[in-house]
Amino acid sequence: MFLLSFIPDALIQLIVNGVLIAGIVGCVVSFFFGFFVRWMPWVIPYRMLLQIVALVLLIAGVYFKGGIGVEMEWRERLRIAEEKVRVAEEKSQQVNTVIEKVYVDRVKTVKDTQIVVQEKIVEKEKIIDAECKVPKEALDILNDAAKSPGGKK
Amino acid sequence: MKRLILLAPAILLSGCLTFGTTAPVRQKFPDVPPELLKSCPDLQLASQTDKLSDVLKIVNENYSRYHECRVAVDTWIEWYKTQKEIYNK
Repeated sequence: MFLLSFIPDALIQLIVNGVLIAGIVGCVVSFFFGFFVRWMPWVIPYRMLLQIVALVLLIAGVYFKGGIGVEMEWRERLRIAEEKVRVAEEKSQQVNTVIEKVYVDRVKTVKDTQIVVQEKIVEKEKIIDAECKVPKEALDILNDAAKSPGGKK
Repeated sequence: MKRLILLAPAILLSGCLTFGTTAPVRQKFPDVPPELLKSCPDLQLASQTDKLSDVLKIVNENYSRYHECRVAVDTWIEWYKTQKEIYNK
């Protein structure tokens, strides 16, 4: 069945239809043998052989006709599924590009704000430092709070 | 001949089973933008100083780090929701 995927669909259909039609024609001929034998008297000794071959061809034809229908249905489903996956992956990639851009813009805004605040601190440094001295204990507490409670990963 | 005829339906019915195959189509798990794979930085510790402005600078830096980290988490959430929506369609 795996090898079937290498043969073009049209060729498979053609072969299967050919076998089926040959089987039908053979069965019709062997069923009305008396009628056809008038024009082809030389086939009389092959009557049994013709019946068997026609029946085998008919069975094989119907078998492959059904099988090929299922095969084609699977191929179509596979094609649809592959197309869906392709579209989803494409969309996903587009979303990634957009999200990446949004992220970079947001981080830039944060950095810009930080710079503005930093400049304000520098600008008002004298006023801020004039009336306040930070005790060492306050710094220790601040640093303790800033340390990661679980330690560095 | 009769045996052949009796065998025919069984052979015909088995055709459908033989041809049916499962098609392995898999969607690749989407890659996240590399910027989002960085972990949040540690907060900056203040060096020994008695100037409030120096402390404020550190606090400002740390606030900024927090906001950056929040942006990253928000973007992760957005990424996850959007990708899930695409995946489930």
